[in-house]
Amino acid sequence: MLAFFIRSLEAAMIFTFAGLGELVDQRSGILNVGLEGIMLFGATLGFIAAQETESYLIGFLVGIGIGALLGLLHGFFSITLGVDQVVSGMGVWIFGFGMTTYIGSSHTGPLGMERLPTWFGISPFFFLSVVLVVLVWFVLNRTGWGLNIRSVGEQPSVAEVSGLKVARIRYLCVIFGGMMAGFAGAVYGLYYNPVWNYNFLMGWGFISLALVFFSMWNPYLLLGGAVLFGLLWQVSLNPQMFFPGLASRYIWRMVPFAMTILVLILISSKWFRSRWGATTPEALGKPYHKE
Amino acid sequence: MFKARKQEGIELHGDIWKHIQPGEVVLEARGITKRYPGGVLANDHIDFKIRAGEIHAILGENGAGKTTLMSILFGLLQPDEGEIYVRGLPVRFRSPEDAIKMGIGMVHQHRKLVPAHTVMENILLGHPRSRGVIDVKTAEEEVVAIAERYGFKIDPRARVWQLTEGEKQVVEIVKALYRGAKILILDEPTSALTPVETERLLESIETMTQDALGVVPFITHKLPMVLAISDEVTILRRGRVVDRLPTAEATEQILAERMVGRPVIFTLQKPPHEPGQPVLQVEGLSARNNKGVLALKNVSFTVREGEILGIAGVAGNGQHELAETLFGLRPAESGRVQFLGQDVTHAPILDRWKMGMGYTPAERTEVGSIGDFSLVENVAMNYYFDERYNRAGFLDYGGLRQLTEQIIEEFDVATPGPDVKIQTLSGGNLQKVIMGRVLSREPKLVIANLPAQGLDVGATEFVQRKLLEARARDAAVILISEDLDEILALSDWIAPMYEGEIVKLLPAAAAKKEVVGAMIAGVYKENEP
Repeated sequence: MLAFFIRSLEAAMIFTFAGLGELVDQRSGILNVGLEGIMLFGATLGFIAAQETESYLIGFLVGIGIGALLGLLHGFFSITLGVDQVVSGMGVWIFGFGMTTYIGSSHTGPLGMERLPTWFGISPFFFLSVVLVVLVWFVLNRTGWGLNIRSVGEQPSVAEVSGLKVARIRYLCVIFGGMMAGFAGAVYGLYYNPVWNYNFLMGWGFISLALVFFSMWNPYLLLGGAVLFGLLWQVSLNPQMFFPGLASRYIWRMVPFAMTILVLILISSKWFRSRWGATTPEALGKPYHKE
Repeated sequence: MFKARKQEGIELHGDIWKHIQPGEVVLEARGITKRYPGGVLANDHIDFKIRAGEIHAILGENGAGKTTLMSILFGLLQPDEGEIYVRGLPVRFRSPEDAIKMGIGMVHQHRKLVPAHTVMENILLGHPRSRGVIDVKTAEEEVVAIAERYGFKIDPRARVWQLTEGEKQVVEIVKALYRGAKILILDEPTSALTPVETERLLESIETMTQDALGVVPFITHKLPMVLAISDEVTILRRGRVVDRLPTAEATEQILAERMVGRPVIFTLQKPPHEPGQPVLQVEGLSARNNKGVLALKNVSFTVREGEILGIAGVAGNGQHELAETLFGLRPAESGRVQFLGQDVTHAPILDRWKMGMGYTPAERTEVGSIGDFSLVENVAMNYYFDERYNRAGFLDYGGLRQLTEQIIEEFDVATPGPDVKIQTLSGGNLQKVIMGRVLSREPKLVIANLPAQGLDVGATEFVQRKLLEARARDAAVILISEDLDEILALSDWIAPMYEGEIVKLLPAAAAKKEVVGAMIAGVYKENEP
C-alpha cells in the first residue's frame, strides 16, 4: 500500500514538472499542446545520452536541452510567425512521436544503470517539484517578472505600451515550458520507467496539459491536481486491487480528462465568472502583432 | 545615439527635467512626416512646440493624422522624417519604453489596462519598482500620495474590471505620473466621462500644469472642452498643421471650420413634430450583462411615432444591455416589450426585422459589418429575407447592387464602388452604409446604439440629420448616446440611465444639461432645484 502511494507521488512529480512549465507558458499567452512530444523527446534522448555516457547528469541535461530547443521551435512558429498555436503544438507532438520512435527503437530495453537514490523511499525529485511549485507561485504573484508574464498573457498591447517587450517575455516563457517538459520526460525515462519502449510515455504529456486547465492556472491547485491524477493513474494500473469489477483500466485512465472537462465547464459557467471574474489568461492562444 | 542613451539609462531622464522654468519649450517636433505603405501621407511636415505649464490641444478630425502623430510622440511608430526634441535634446523613440524614459506619458482613449489585474498591478506594470520582488506596501503609499496631490481618489487593491470609465482613466493618469511623466498626452480625455467627472479631471489637469508639466490633449469633436482648458490649439487637417492659435482668440465656430475645412452647422434644425401612436411600449424590463450581473433593472417607457427617445448615460450603465434586449440579442430576465401592440419580448430577431424594427449596433466592425464582404453583401444582410430581393431562396444580386448604389448616393458614402470590401471604408463611411441599409427599409422603429460615437464633425452631423429625417417620416427612434449635447439636440424625451435604471423620464424641452449630467453621474437628488 505504501508502495502504491509512493508511486502515485512519483507520477505526480512528473505531472507537476511538465504542468508547471506549461502553466508559466500559458500565463504568458502561449498554448503548447505539444507537451507530449517534448516529453517523449526528453525521455528518449535523455535515456540514450545517459546510457551512452553512463551519466545521469548528462541524461537530464540533454533532456532539458532538447526541451528548450523544442520550446524555441514552438515559440518561433507561434510568436514570430503567428501561426495557430494548436496547429504548431500538434506538429511538435507528431514530430516527437515519430522521431523518438525512429531514434529510440535501437535502444529498446532497460537502461542498465544503478537506480537513483531515494530519501525515505521517496524520490528527491518529489521535494524538488514542491519547491518549484512554491517558487513559481511566488514569482508569478509577488515579483515584477510574474507581473510582466501575467500581463503579457492577459493584454499584450497593454504590456507593450507600458514599455515591455512582449515577444521576448513570451519566448522566455515558452523556452522555460519546454525545458520543464524535457526535464519531466527525462525524469520519466531515467527514473520512473527506465525501460525504453515504443511510446512508453503513454499520454502523460496530455495528462499534464489537462492538469494545467484543471488547476485554473494556480500552481498550488496544480500540485494538488497532480497528486490526484497520480493516484488515479496508479488505480488505473490495477483497478481490481481497489475496486474489484468496477470498470476497466482504460475507463480509469479517462478520469483525469473527464475531471478536467468538468473543471472547464465550471470555470466557464456564468456563476463562476460572476463570482471570480476572469480566470483564463485573456490572450491565451492568440498571436500578438504590434499595432 | 541609441547606444549612448542606453548606457546613461534612467539617470539621463532625471537630469533632463531639472531646473525647469515655466514657459520654457519642453517638447518640440520639427517636420514630422509619416507615409504609410500605399502612399498615404498621414503626417506632412508637422511642427509644434509645447511649453512648460501649458495645455496644448491638438485638434483634428478622424484621419487628420492625429493618431499617427500621437503614436510617433510615444514611440509606437517611427517617423520617416523629422526630429523630436525634449528640452532641446534630440531624441529618437524606438519603442514606448524610450518615450517613457524621457518623461512622456500617454493616456489612451481605449484604456490600456489589464482588466483582470488590480489597480496597483496595472500601475506597476513596466515601472522600475516592479523589478524583482515587489514591495507592494511602499509602492501603494507612493501611488496614493501622487493621486492625492492631484486630487484623485484611487483604490490600489480594486480590480480594474470593476471600475467605471472615469476611474480607469484616473488609473492611467496616475500610472503615467508615477512613471515620472512630465509631458502627458491625453487621447480624447473626456469622451467617456460624465460632466461631473470631466469637471474634476479639468481641475486636476490645472494642478498638474502648476508643476511645470506639459499637457497635450488630442481631441476630435469636443470643442467646448478645448475652449475650456487649453492655452493653445494646433489644428490638423489631412496630415498638415492648418492653424495654430491661442485659445483666447478661438471660438467653437472658428475651430470647427478650420478643422473640417468648410462651415459647419452647429444647431441642427429640429422642427416641431406631433407624435403619433405608440410604437414601442416597454414595461419593467430587466436583463443581465455578460458577467451574469443584473445590468438592466426594471425599465419602463413608451416611444411614439415621430419621436426620438434619447438614452443618456456613461458607458456601462445598462444602455448597451437595453439596446440588445430590445432587439432580442440578449434575453430579457423579466418584463415585457410590445411593438405595435404585439408582445415581442421573446420574438426572434428575424421577425423583428420583418415587423419593421431596425438596429444599428455600436460595434460597427464586430457586429455591424463583415469586413471581408463587399458593400453589396453587407447591405444584403438586412435584406436577404426581404421578398423584393429573395426569390424562393435565391438572392437578387442585381437588385441588391442597385440598392447599394442608391444608399451610396443618398448617404454620401465615399467609396470606389459597391463591390469593394467594406473594411476598406473609413469609420464614418462604414457607419453611413450601416445607417443607410437600416433606414432605407423605412423601419417603424430605429434603435441607434452610439450612432455618432467616434465619428468626425462632418459625419456626425450627417448621421444626426438622417435620424431627424426618420423622425420626420414618423418613425420612432431610440438614440443611445454618451454625448449629452447630442442627446439634448435630437431628443423629444430623455431617459438618463444610471446603474441599469432610468433615473427619470424627462421631456427634452424642460431638460437642463446640468440636471441630466447629475442624473447620469448618480448624484441627482429629487428635491434639489
